[in-house]
Amino acid sequence: MSHYPATGQWTTCRVCGRHVHARQWGTWRQCPYCQAWQRLTAKQRIDQLVDADSFEPLPVVARSQNQLAFPGYATKLAQATEKTGLTEAVVAGWATIQTWPVMLIVMDSHFMMGTLNTTVSRRIMAALKQARQRQVPVIMVTASGGARMQEGIYALVGMNLILAEMARLAAVPVPVISVLTDPTMGGVSASFAFKADVVLAEAGAKIGFAGPRVIQQTMPVDLPADFQSAASLYENGAVDAVIARPELRDQLGDILASYRFQGVSTHG
Amino acid sequence: MDERLKRLRAADRLSAPTVIQALLPTFVPLHGDRVLGDDAALTAGFGRTADQQALTVLGIDRGQNVNERRQKNGGALTVPGYRTALRVLAHTEKFRMPVVSLLNMPGADASPQSEEHGQSQAIADLIAAMGQLTVPNIVVFLGEGHSGGALGFANANRVIMLDDSLFNVASPEAVAAILHGQQTVSAAIDLLPMTAAALKQRGLVDVVIDHRAPDLVATLSTQIIDLLVPLLPVMPDALIAQREEKFQAFLEQWPLN
Ligand SMILES: [Zn+2]
Repeated sequence: MSHYPATGQWTTCRVCGRHVHARQWGTWRQCPYCQAWQRLTAKQRIDQLVDADSFEPLPVVARSQNQLAFPGYATKLAQATEKTGLTEAVVAGWATIQTWPVMLIVMDSHFMMGTLNTTVSRRIMAALKQARQRQVPVIMVTASGGARMQEGIYALVGMNLILAEMARLAAVPVPVISVLTDPTMGGVSASFAFKADVVLAEAGAKIGFAGPRVIQQTMPVDLPADFQSAASLYENGAVDAVIARPELRDQLGDILASYRFQGVSTHG
Repeated sequence: MDERLKRLRAADRLSAPTVIQALLPTFVPLHGDRVLGDDAALTAGFGRTADQQALTVLGIDRGQNVNERRQKNGGALTVPGYRTALRVLAHTEKFRMPVVSLLNMPGADASPQSEEHGQSQAIADLIAAMGQLTVPNIVVFLGEGHSGGALGFANANRVIMLDDSLFNVASPEAVAAILHGQQTVSAAIDLLPMTAAALKQRGLVDVVIDHRAPDLVATLSTQIIDLLVPLLPVMPDALIAQREEKFQAFLEQWPLN
């Protein structure tokens, strides 16, 4: 492997623990040893899904701060910003997918595990509202550990408010498509993640409410290997399809083409 | 255990069934979600107050002895519980009865079964249904209410808390856990606004009631009705808008920059 550039190109597979070179991950970021899909950054996800150069981010409507002076939170926010180059755990914007216009909302688990806080809620609400006003289909790519504990009840009420916005969106025939990626847990799965017209799960994703560690702290139980897996959710009837990452863009294009949504005619 | 938490989790803590019994001299219990089963932690149904006001109630309690606590899963609602609540909400809209929820519950049920039953979707459905409810709803925190499950019931027009009760994104134990033992569970209660006093000051809670009030159940019943009566003539759209405005105003306390 000496032909690979040495510095900064090696990362550890989260699943099998082996060192994998950037080129070995390939376009779809799949581990060559264990075939696990690496968690994507919001940028990688957007690049994989949208037509080239079509993504136009919404202006940033809010930034996070440690309003409740929770111990260590300011540092965590600064580190997450430093690590990801993002100002929060979600990116939203207009794009086209196989020429179909969409509002694309992408969460990034690399920013404080994609947790839902006041800023993330506000950005998601703003995106949903604009999509409804412009009558553009919505694609939500979720990746989150749940509500952000450091913002307390303020993080939690975001779930109420996003669902209120989704109720307005549900009242008009604008397609809403959800793509549940690894991980989609807690306050995100228990609010907007499943509230879509079509719910897709990315192959390999873990999706649920309480994570395996929390469950095993509560009760000594052996959990099957496929516990909370995309495949088991499909078997239980919780999602419409399990899609492998390389097929996701085409699948979304097919769904958009099947809706052939061109806005709702309005009178006066 | 922290003294405050001990009190909230004590077997003799004022429980939802006790309040319901006093509030509704005539009461029709409703059981089961018609698909998966029933949840013993949920006391649901409808009836009439002494003044003939029709009411729907959704009460969650931890159980008053070891046997009850086992049956009720310590108050951790399961999917049949959320789904039963949803069924009862459909019933209450048909008959235009306001809804009173009474809570003393830990965080969500952490079990493989709840996951397989779709706990996430059940909670999301309850939050959404409560938010869009076309009749007035009130929530009363008799003890603890944490996480998405409690939030569903708390998506209400009015919020009442007993002065020593707690409402948070997660239990004080879970808050302490993310700090890796740098803070005790007792300290964690004061790290985030989760007490009745803190949430009242921030405008999320409408009324705080002293848990040592001499006739607590009667005081509580009077307060519930007093808050409810002005809401009875409010139109459905206004009730829905009012709920959202309440939580939006709360969120606005968090500056944009
Ligand atoms: Zn691997």
